[in-house]
Amino acid sequence: MIGARVRAAPGQTAVPRDIGFFEWFFDADTWTDPGGILDSLRETIVLCAIVTAVAVAVSVPIASYLAHHGRFEVSSTWAVSISRAIPTFAIAALLVPWSLERGWGFEPWPIFIALLLLALVPIYLNTYTAVRQAPGGPVDAARALGYEEHHVLTRVEFALGASLIFTGIRVAAIQVVATEPIRAFLGGDGLGRYVRDGFGQNNNTLVIGGIVLIGGLAALTGLTFVLLERLVLPTGVRRLARQQGEQR
Amino acid sequence: MTTSTKRRRTAVRLLAPLVALGLVATACGSDDDGDTGADTSTDVAATDVASTDADTGGEVADGATIRLRGQDFSEAITIAEVYGQFLQAKGYDVEILTPAGFRTEALDGIANGDLDLIIDYIGGTQSALAPDAEPSADPEAIVATLQEPLAGIGATMVDFSPATDGDAMVVRGDSEASTISDLAGLDYRLGASAQCPERPQCLIGLESPDVYGITFADYVTIEFGPLLGEALANDEVDAVIWNTTAPQITEQGFKVLDDDKGLFPAQNIAPILSAAIIEAYGDQLVTDLNELSAMITTDDLLAWNTETDIELRESDAVATDWLTEKGLI
Repeated sequence: MIGARVRAAPGQTAVPRDIGFFEWFFDADTWTDPGGILDSLRETIVLCAIVTAVAVAVSVPIASYLAHHGRFEVSSTWAVSISRAIPTFAIAALLVPWSLERGWGFEPWPIFIALLLLALVPIYLNTYTAVRQAPGGPVDAARALGYEEHHVLTRVEFALGASLIFTGIRVAAIQVVATEPIRAFLGGDGLGRYVRDGFGQNNNTLVIGGIVLIGGLAALTGLTFVLLERLVLPTGVRRLARQQGEQR
Repeated sequence: MTTSTKRRRTAVRLLAPLVALGLVATACGSDDDGDTGADTSTDVAATDVASTDADTGGEVADGATIRLRGQDFSEAITIAEVYGQFLQAKGYDVEILTPAGFRTEALDGIANGDLDLIIDYIGGTQSALAPDAEPSADPEAIVATLQEPLAGIGATMVDFSPATDGDAMVVRGDSEASTISDLAGLDYRLGASAQCPERPQCLIGLESPDVYGITFADYVTIEFGPLLGEALANDEVDAVIWNTTAPQITEQGFKVLDDDKGLFPAQNIAPILSAAIIEAYGDQLVTDLNELSAMITTDDLLAWNTETDIELRESDAVATDWLTEKGLI
């Protein structure tokens, strides 16, 4: 099940309002208690990882296929972009009653669908652009060498655009991590619960804690993808991406 | 004005989950901002009241306008219309202002001399004006703690109504429980807002062996509002902490459990008047208000909310119909 739910045990002692942020944040129990920060972190990371993975699995094949054949350039990018005009929170909030009526509960579908729509956009747009704008020289050379069309896409256009595609995935992952906390306001938990409970209980320590955790996780996500890109992409491809960037 | 009310209500409906984030759009929340706001303006109020008296002199008796403003959620808007239209029919000069803000703004309005009449929920007034006083299920006990702080902002609370919009333990219609005590052995899943776990009048009291001593199988945090009903109706939880006048209770066949150990604070509605307007109209105004308050019941509030929130009627029309039906106008 997406976003395995571990709830705070009923009757968990509320965090005192006068406790200092550092005192609370650096207490080991704050992290390890059932329903503590580690549980919340795990819930958030699992959901975000699945959302990003599904978004990649959906966006990259469709965007690269369409871009390779030069189809639907305007209409598909327009359609994908326009989905960003609807706030993620509104999408999730509208889906909650729909999900409840079907007996699917608060989670995971409403928040999953809303975050997926958010993640699709940068990945789709970057992949489309990367493939569409692959330099003509190498692509023509590959065709002249007798590459089949799908090999032109996967071995040439993909490789040349890898850096741009990777950027799209990184941006999507950061946005998903930073937006996921809205689930706490829609019957779920995750890291957003600290902001929610902090507001509800008039407890600034919790609100600040939630912001630090969410911001920290988003920053770490960005960093992880930068390091991953170094590890995965060959040096030549990265240098090429830099050169292309300079030419543009 | 009616169009704007309608638009506002539609907007509230659409944005309800968003609004619920920051605003406890009910009388129930403990309102910690309220006391600071009201306290700081105490001095201003005293001078304002004095100057009003001096400026208007003797002619105030027939010329004073009762400025009335409802808090900005549908139940309070209807309540304001009921009191306003009732007083108008009695011949008072009443100005029903466009609803705005919540308790903090209402009490500030009285303290600043911008308003002459507001209607509040006594438990909420207590949390705003006398936060250190002991909340109680007995309305008389709450009102006793309010006289002094109200006098401090130049205001007086007249008789409270039997009508109350307080916290309520709500279960599905087929539940075997009829009192909150009955929940003890049922291992229910509880849904409530984020405030509940840290409040003695909520989860702490429900679980405390000194009060109810109930063990819940699960606690789900759900934003206050229609989502509570959705979660209950669709078997996500078995009980929710809602309010006694949520229209979905009748609409969806839920039932409110009897608070047999008096955990939830009393939230009767009660008019609060500025000292200046009492001086202007004398005891007759108080008598008239008391007459109306005595006639309003919790079922009336529930019926009004059903009409405004489910049937989407205008608050002023709902108020006129009720007053006509009761022969008050």
